[in-house]
Amino acid sequence: MNNIWLIAKREYLERVRSKAYRISTLVIPLAMAGIFGIGAVSGRLSGSRSIVVTSDDPALAASAATELSEKRTSGASGPGARNSGDGESPFHVEVRPGASPADISALNQEVESKQIDGYLWLKTKPGAVQPEAIFVSAGSADAIGQGRMTDAIERAIVHNELLKHGEAPVDIQTLLKPVDLKTMEVKAGQLVPADSGKRFWGAYAMAFTLYFAVVFYGVNVAQSVAAEKTSRVFEVLLASVEPETLMTGKLLGVAAAGLTQMAIWIAALLYFSATSMASTLMEGGLAAYGVTPIQLVFLFVYFILGFFFYSALSAAIGAAVNQESDVQQFNMLIVLPQVIGIVMIVYVLRNPGAWPVVLLSLFPPVTHIVMMLRIAAMTVPWWQLGLSVVIMLASIRALLWLASRIYRVGILMYGKQATVPEIMRWIRYK
Amino acid sequence: MSIVELNGISKAYGEKIAVNDLSLRIEPGTMFGLLGPNGAGKTSAIRMMIGMTLPDSGSVSLFGKPFHRNLLPRLGYLPEERGLYKRMKVLEQLVFLGQLRGLDAALATRRAKNWCERLQIAGSLDSVTQSLSKGMQQKIQFIATLLHEPDLIIMDEPFSGLDPVNAILLRDVLLEIKAEGRAILLSTHRMEQAEQLCDAICLINAGRGVLSGSVREIKSRYQRDRVLIEYEGDGTFLQHPAIASFQTFAGHTEFQMKDGADAQLILRTAVENAKIYRFDLMEPSLEEIFVQTVGGKFDE
Repeated sequence: MNNIWLIAKREYLERVRSKAYRISTLVIPLAMAGIFGIGAVSGRLSGSRSIVVTSDDPALAASAATELSEKRTSGASGPGARNSGDGESPFHVEVRPGASPADISALNQEVESKQIDGYLWLKTKPGAVQPEAIFVSAGSADAIGQGRMTDAIERAIVHNELLKHGEAPVDIQTLLKPVDLKTMEVKAGQLVPADSGKRFWGAYAMAFTLYFAVVFYGVNVAQSVAAEKTSRVFEVLLASVEPETLMTGKLLGVAAAGLTQMAIWIAALLYFSATSMASTLMEGGLAAYGVTPIQLVFLFVYFILGFFFYSALSAAIGAAVNQESDVQQFNMLIVLPQVIGIVMIVYVLRNPGAWPVVLLSLFPPVTHIVMMLRIAAMTVPWWQLGLSVVIMLASIRALLWLASRIYRVGILMYGKQATVPEIMRWIRYK
Repeated sequence: MSIVELNGISKAYGEKIAVNDLSLRIEPGTMFGLLGPNGAGKTSAIRMMIGMTLPDSGSVSLFGKPFHRNLLPRLGYLPEERGLYKRMKVLEQLVFLGQLRGLDAALATRRAKNWCERLQIAGSLDSVTQSLSKGMQQKIQFIATLLHEPDLIIMDEPFSGLDPVNAILLRDVLLEIKAEGRAILLSTHRMEQAEQLCDAICLINAGRGVLSGSVREIKSRYQRDRVLIEYEGDGTFLQHPAIASFQTFAGHTEFQMKDGADAQLILRTAVENAKIYRFDLMEPSLEEIFVQTVGGKFDE
């Protein structure tokens, strides 16, 4: 026990003191902020595009322009939400009635010379209520703009038709006023507002943090075992301690280094969220993103579980390869299963209680990611949380056993890359 | 009570038999040579001796008791390929290894400093290990092996890569330890080294022990049948029927006698024909004994 502690301490200090550790502590959150920041900011940046609406029906052109420049409040702002661009219209609109061939070619030139970003051409067709709508721009219109534009055209058509049928303009405005959809959720019998868009980002961020941390530290274990094998340090160590002690100490030390790093990130996040800069950038603070203290606790719990699951595997890989650089070809074993969890993010967040998702969250290779997402999206029943932890612990125990069998033989084998049948034989050695 | 006793241990890795029915004993206060070419099974035998691997058959006893891991703190092991944590500082590294073997941090620090002083590397206590020369790193590992004052010291090629001055420095330490009554196992493929230092040896080849016992006793088992001669004048006596073969070097000649030949008779013939400066009936070297025993060439 004393030796496990000594080895863990050495592993911990070696990591925490390294330059790579300091750099990754700084760079990973910046990279995450960058990824999410770009997503959030790009919607706002694309807002001020100047476009022209032209049509042989001046009334239609006018109401389409009004709809396009209308301010919109829309609750959903996360990925997958159709209407985006909080409040401000993404378009600066000008109406040019006419749409004669000469007008159109003039507009084409303006688009080409970048005087305008594009034009919307509504071509009425005799006998048809719906005009033909064409949007011309220098590049392809982005999805958010398209959704918004389609909405605006549909409203303009309805507006026009109602006018033709003699409805009063005031009534039409009232009728077509956008619906403000409030999202709520039930928590302990109470209705509380739930900003699904922001919650989405919160869940995303936590799932990615888990994924990055488990991959990063998992791969790190394989590399450091392989490095010890190449440098033969373990030969000295094995003359004093058992392979299991060596492996356990290493895993504990690396896990502690990982936890320290996450604690630094979370402390920084909590500190940041309390500043005034945060209140402008992150409206509603951390809680609005669905990040609660209890979730942060689960973040630690599932990091530990995920880490030990993958690092046991990783230690076995490190012991089986012949040199440090060979580790890379096996990294896929650590990355791929977790990617399943990552690609399922949207599905899991939309259906956190569906039975395939429940089963997935109890499947050890992805439990840490999927359960974290479910916790963000709903109140997960306690028995499911408990069961996931029990299943994880049991599979970690089995993996550690298996890994230590491979480790104790593999680490003494030099010369050539072990084949799978060989590794299977190692497991049976006494 | 023997310090180490191996009784018919064998170990196979898949098809390859690394050690085959090997037995040996190491007594207190001796330097024991485990000799054999590379790949003969020396390292595999040592690994079983210290419990890194288990023998498929046979038994290992340490300090008169069947092998148990709780005996490990009483031994020190220096593996053939030096292994140190590259990024650790020298003193930190020594203290860490000392602690793993049961020393408390203060004692480990004190002893590490003393040893570094003695082996002339005290100036590098705070250096990062990978910044030091190979020879320096070897001394550090040598110290790490001895720090907890083990009763059995196992050293796999301890002098390889050391310059003569440092080799002598470490050799003197080993001789001192032997004089204290502790046992040393020296594993090497360099026969002349073993011949100089060891009291007893075990020669292994292809996993089998081919020769073991005290160096004196082994040598006395082999007859002196090689002669070094320095002479001036007629060399026809080298055609003597009792001489099997001869080789002429720059300043001397060596010849091999036939089985049962009498060296005195050859000497008499030589004296009659030439002026003899030196006639040396040489005892066989361990290397020659090994070649004779296994009938193969012995080198790297």
